[in-house]
Amino acid sequence: MSPRTRLAFVLLWLGLLVVAALFVSRHLHLSGDLRAFMPAPETPEQRLLIDELGDGPGSRLLLMAISGADRETLAAQSRALRAALADDERIELVANGSEAEAGLEAIPERLRPYRYLLSPGLDQRPLGEDVLREAIQDRLQDLGSPAGGLVEPLLPSDPTLEILTLAQAWEPASAPQRIDGVWFDRAGDQALLLVRTRDAGFDPAAQAGVVGAIEAAFAEAAGDSGTGLLMTGPGAFSVEIGGRTAREAARIGVIGTLGLVLLYWLAYRSGRLLLAGVLPLASAALAGIAAVTALYGGMHGITLAFGFTLIGVAQDYPVHLFSHLRAGEPPPATARALWRTLLTGVVSTCIAYLTFFFSGVDGLRQLAVFTVVGLLVAALATRFLLPPLLDPRPGDAADGRRVRALAAAIDAIPRPGRRAGTALMVLLAGAAVAVAMLAPGPFWENDLSRLTPVPEAALAEDGRLRGELGAPDVRYLLAVQGADVEAALQASERLLPSLDALVEAGAISGYEIAARYLPSAATQRARQARLPAPEALRAALDAAVADSPFRAGVFAPFLADVQAARQASPLRPADLAGTPLDAVVPGLLVEDGQGRVTALATLGGLEDPAAVAAVADGAGARLLDLKETSESLVQAWRGQVLAALALAALLLVATVWIALRAPHRVARVVVPMAFTVVLTLAILRGFGVELTLFHLVSLVLGAGLGLDYALFFERTGSDRREQLRTLHAIVVCGSMTALVFGLLAVSSIPVLRAIGLTATIGVVGNFVLALLVARRRADPAQGAGA
Amino acid sequence: MPAATPFVELRESELLEAPLRIEGEYRRPDAATLVREVRSPYAETTTLADGRATIEREGRSPRSFPMSRAPELAGLQASFGALLAGDHEALEGAYAIGAYGGEDGWTMTLAPRDRALARRVESISLFGAGDELRCIETLTVEGEVQRTLLGAAAEAADGAGAADGFLALCRGGAGG
Repeated sequence: MSPRTRLAFVLLWLGLLVVAALFVSRHLHLSGDLRAFMPAPETPEQRLLIDELGDGPGSRLLLMAISGADRETLAAQSRALRAALADDERIELVANGSEAEAGLEAIPERLRPYRYLLSPGLDQRPLGEDVLREAIQDRLQDLGSPAGGLVEPLLPSDPTLEILTLAQAWEPASAPQRIDGVWFDRAGDQALLLVRTRDAGFDPAAQAGVVGAIEAAFAEAAGDSGTGLLMTGPGAFSVEIGGRTAREAARIGVIGTLGLVLLYWLAYRSGRLLLAGVLPLASAALAGIAAVTALYGGMHGITLAFGFTLIGVAQDYPVHLFSHLRAGEPPPATARALWRTLLTGVVSTCIAYLTFFFSGVDGLRQLAVFTVVGLLVAALATRFLLPPLLDPRPGDAADGRRVRALAAAIDAIPRPGRRAGTALMVLLAGAAVAVAMLAPGPFWENDLSRLTPVPEAALAEDGRLRGELGAPDVRYLLAVQGADVEAALQASERLLPSLDALVEAGAISGYEIAARYLPSAATQRARQARLPAPEALRAALDAAVADSPFRAGVFAPFLADVQAARQASPLRPADLAGTPLDAVVPGLLVEDGQGRVTALATLGGLEDPAAVAAVADGAGARLLDLKETSESLVQAWRGQVLAALALAALLLVATVWIALRAPHRVARVVVPMAFTVVLTLAILRGFGVELTLFHLVSLVLGAGLGLDYALFFERTGSDRREQLRTLHAIVVCGSMTALVFGLLAVSSIPVLRAIGLTATIGVVGNFVLALLVARRRADPAQGAGA
Repeated sequence: MPAATPFVELRESELLEAPLRIEGEYRRPDAATLVREVRSPYAETTTLADGRATIEREGRSPRSFPMSRAPELAGLQASFGALLAGDHEALEGAYAIGAYGGEDGWTMTLAPRDRALARRVESISLFGAGDELRCIETLTVEGEVQRTLLGAAAEAADGAGAADGFLALCRGGAGG
């Protein structure tokens, strides 16, 4: 092939990748739901969290405050924002206090007679002459009050004002003050709003959509008035942190790419090799995405991020090929000579990753598919596609002046004898294990939210808004179960007195539970049974009205309503569609696959979880600690990952054994890797880092890199020029990886820092140890006086 | 202005056989509190203070609720209360004010700024002479008028049961 044809093929390959990338980006469905990365739930709490809730209702809340103008302007903007968001499909509920203006008009006509079944107002006293006489005297006084206009339209159908009793029972105890008809904070400087999303709080993609929609709607509402919108809540935080992480990762990516180009240039002084070097990795990424999408119909965002980290190893494959090229040997021959070593590394890494496939966690399975397919494609591309496209008369890295100087310097390092070396290693490894195990502080970090911390100031704002709005606690929920909706509602009703007592005692400031809005059918039927028959009611009413200033016959609609209530079939959750309650009740009744229903109670202003838990236990309910539950899931997750890793380590050694077939050769390859893992753990723990799954995955990456380094050093034997080429290859590989992950290691975001730090320590440790253990000393006959 | 003034109100409603005539006293025990005490035809005391309304009725325990729930009460506090207190700033904050007339007969019209109140009340007109407030006339958005006679006008209303007599007393034609 002429150079021109070769370049044409390289560009063709690149072109195909660009086309494929465009196609993939069009069709790639990235999921952000973290549940894909959670193991199968085992306890009832975990099942509730994973299968049913997706998250507590409290964590689907976004709290908002508009400030920076006079009250009228703020109120108007609050109204405009609410109107704009009310029709958004993704938003289950948007509230700003103005709902109260619509008040009773918001309750559909057909449901109004149900007030006699929903309200507890008549539970103590039957609807007889005494009650009516008293009510009518009260209504007369109401009419005579300055607020008489308010009650006048209600009177004919509702002389006991049952609908107001109901409205008051529904009104949250700690609702914020209203100015100009909308919620304001206590100081009256901020208009407050509340949004509940349909999607889970820990679905960052869905939350990003909602947050974007809210910001756009506010920009529209605010115009150039100079007002500002403050948004807090789990969703808003995850979006903000996600954005910050992505921006920082992108910045690091740009710097890293520039650094990589520079390194390539320094190493090979060839634009074509730079271009060709990109191809295997890019092909690997696209093949991995295609495989996952084909198998799972979509891909998890975390799989993509982790996967790219893990297949970063593949960037080393072309480097090994390029550095081992030599004059007089066509590149395909070089590739053939390297293939066995390369394949050993690839296959053992792939086998290690395959253990993820059996972890029982969907996200990890995707990760396994992505990585295995990606690495195989990169290796095959390096072996079969890349070599024919390279210059058949290449330069020789062994001629490099710098690499010779480096080799001489390394060889000049005094090394202990074999026996003393082994003893030293054992001693160091023992010390490292001791540090890793004995370092103070917890070994594991189970609270994943610490990896992406919300700024203190934002948390404080969230706490303040939550207090102002009486919004429910994000962490705790009460749950009570029943065989069906009716049973769950009945169980909740038994809980109501305990909850009221807790409010009274100050353990909570308020609560929301479905039964507060929608009593069980049994309760509704009992109330129905207590309503008087039409004739009896008419007689009682006539007697009560007779000596009052009210005109006779004024209360005819009341008689009709009570009659309707007597004959109605009890109201069920499904009947609430189109009412204000539709936004509240269904979210608090959660059905599992088998038809069992869990009624949830959200708690506001939770002061004393222990007291609430004690009361809940006594009343047949459970206080769910969502934080603890998710941490227990993380623990279970880690257990599975650790088991998979242990198996992976065994398989990896077995693969290397099969490939090398000699104990001392296997030891040369495996020892540096194993030692680096221990050393990395010791360093991290020694500096007080609590380990997370991000550290674990990065540890695996480091081990995979180390395996390749050791395999290549080991392969070289004592041929001086080949040693120089291998040294060249591994210096280039190591410095590229160290550059990228070193940049991540100094990131301000803990999750990026966790990955970067672990991988950087791993790369450096593996490089040094592979150099010392796996690499043989130069043949003294060829060596330069070491 | 005196700290206590008698009032007479005539409440008209389609629900009633005849208009309801209510008599009692408005009091201002301190600058931040307005009390409306009804003596006839029933006994009831409404206290407006600190953003809350407390209603005491014979034989019942007092009920208390935030005034925001009944914008009319908030409006009363902001108009009548502010006027009694001579708090022009509070009045200006709650209403767009128009005033005309002279020493021997003046009218002040208040158009509510607060949305919640404005949804119910079109305007409140205050009629007086000299330093005495004689009458409060509330026009609802539905076009209904409620009149409260105060002070001398209330005393003069002893005999007046009909709406037209009230109108005359309110506007200061009779007894002024």
